Amino acid sequence: MKRWPAAGSLRLRLLGATLVTLALALTGAHAWLAGLFRDHVMRQADLALTQQLDQLTARLEFDAQGRPGLGPRAMSDPRWDRPYSGLYWQIEPLHGGSGGRAEALRSRSLWDGSLQLPADALADGTLHRHDIAGPRGEALRALERSLQAPEPFDSRWRLIVAGDLHDATAAVERFTGVLAASLAGLGLLLALAAVAQVAVGLAPLRTLQQSLQQLRAGRRQRLEGRFPTEVQPLIDDFNGVLERNAVIVERARAQAGNLAHALKTPLAILRHAALQAGPGEFPALVAEQVDTAQRHLDWHLARARAAATPHVPGQRTELEPVLRGLLRTMGKLHADRRLDLAADAVAPGLAFAGEAQDLQEMLGNLLDNACRSARGSVTVQAARDGPWLHIEVQDDGPGIAPEQRAAVLQRGVRLDETSAGSGLGLAIVVDLARLYGGDLTLGQAAAGGLGARLTLPAAP
Amino acid sequence: MRLLLVEDDPTLRDQLRAGLQEAGYAVDAADDGRDAHHLGDTEAYDAVVLDLGLPLLDGLSVLRRWRDAGRAMPVLVLTARDNWSEKVAGIDAGADDYLTKPFHMEELLARLRGLIRRAAGQASPVLRCGELALDTRSGRVTLAGQAVTLTSHEYKVLDYLMHRPGAVVSRSELTEHIYAQDFDRDSNTIEVFVGRLRKKLPPGLIETVRGQGYRLAVV
Repeated sequence: MKRWPAAGSLRLRLLGATLVTLALALTGAHAWLAGLFRDHVMRQADLALTQQLDQLTARLEFDAQGRPGLGPRAMSDPRWDRPYSGLYWQIEPLHGGSGGRAEALRSRSLWDGSLQLPADALADGTLHRHDIAGPRGEALRALERSLQAPEPFDSRWRLIVAGDLHDATAAVERFTGVLAASLAGLGLLLALAAVAQVAVGLAPLRTLQQSLQQLRAGRRQRLEGRFPTEVQPLIDDFNGVLERNAVIVERARAQAGNLAHALKTPLAILRHAALQAGPGEFPALVAEQVDTAQRHLDWHLARARAAATPHVPGQRTELEPVLRGLLRTMGKLHADRRLDLAADAVAPGLAFAGEAQDLQEMLGNLLDNACRSARGSVTVQAARDGPWLHIEVQDDGPGIAPEQRAAVLQRGVRLDETSAGSGLGLAIVVDLARLYGGDLTLGQAAAGGLGARLTLPAAP
Repeated sequence: MRLLLVEDDPTLRDQLRAGLQEAGYAVDAADDGRDAHHLGDTEAYDAVVLDLGLPLLDGLSVLRRWRDAGRAMPVLVLTARDNWSEKVAGIDAGADDYLTKPFHMEELLARLRGLIRRAAGQASPVLRCGELALDTRSGRVTLAGQAVTLTSHEYKVLDYLMHRPGAVVSRSELTEHIYAQDFDRDSNTIEVFVGRLRKKLPPGLIETVRGQGYRLAVV
């Protein structure tokens, strides 16, 4: 049986594509949403700091010596005064001006620390943003702007406000965590939906697969069931092929039978005419040629009947009824011999994965052969061994010498023998068995005669 | 012994008839299924040689009808179809033996002898009654080892009686089984044959059962 080239499972392909797309889409959504939220939170933090810086700028006053100081109205936020509160300001002179030796001013919250900003060149009024480390090593967002002291002082000052980013980053982390969890949940639901969809969508294919298995096992003769519109035409065509196949095989058999009938009656007439003509060279020649023609006819008819059969799938033949029928027949055909025909060791339910007529032909020839050589009894045993059916026919006759066994099974050897009615049978059995992938081996029976062991494919 | 021969091929039918008659059988022949069925249903035959491929009614149907009607005569099926499946079908339809064409006349005769013998409950091909022995294979009759010369009609009567030792056989039964259908039968001739036989055989072997027929004494 030829296997289709491996292309993976359709289910796996569909599921794989869906799940990969799903994972990519959800990861992308997470990154985008988290980015959006982070930007928003940072902008809010910057906005708050800008307001604080504006307030600081507004409260800045210069005394008569041009030294900066904060006006009487204190800064409103209590965090300015709480040490290391996370909100700091610092006013430092910019070098290059005349107030170069002036002291920097700092919020109380900075305590004895200071904000260390990288050197920066600022145009008047612009805002710059820095991420720096705070007095206790915390991450700070710092905003700075430069300010020119009013006339007549010629000094420039750097106004800095810094806020702790901890709250903002905590909010972002919390949000991304919740977002990741909900997206993962969504992804799981979608994945389950995809699995269900694939299962529902591919269910007809599984039905088809089961139907095919039953066909191959011989329980059905055609593919049963209704399938989706995409698949049904294929099923109908396949059933059509199966039916045509069966018809062709049946017709071939019938034609072989008709040919046999058409040729054998004239052969019978020729033989009797030769017999009635009495002794002589010509009648002897006719009789001899009729025998040869008959053997060729038998041989090729058996081959023709068998040739088409093993390729038809879905065949199953119960062994026991066939065997019983043949034993009844042998009992009659060899009634004179009064043989003991036993098939007690044949378990019921054994079946051959092939055509009934072929099984009958093989067993019939083996049994006939055994009945011809048996002295008193013929026994049949059958057992299943995995995918194979073993049938052994034994007789208590003289048997066949080991060195002659191979020759008996060879094709054509018996074709040229002159004794009528024997020999050809075994060669036909071998031929048929091999067409099914099985074989016939000859050995010695327990009772001393020939033990013919037939191996055939078993049907479940 | 009287046979029904059913074969649709005229040449083969004539050959078979000739061969069977030569072997000492009275032969009726039919060439189609309907005719064959009628003959087998109404006449008394010791055996039938039946071809399966027949016009009007096929051989297996003829056979089944006979068996359904309780006709039990032995039937040898003669056919060109030699699948085992067809042989099984033939045997299951009620055939007693099966011979495929082309066949040897000797084999047909041997099988017929076996069929007739077994139908009469005789196991051996040599029928014995005391010192009298009849070899169905060779047609030789011996009395205490000495050959007895019989005419063909005498042989036929003795053959029929020896197949049924101890049974009463009427004159009409003997006539039916010794002559073919188209033969002008006269049961008086049977008495003549029996009379001649009695002279050649030990006295008292063939008994007359008054008003019923003859009986071969069981020794």
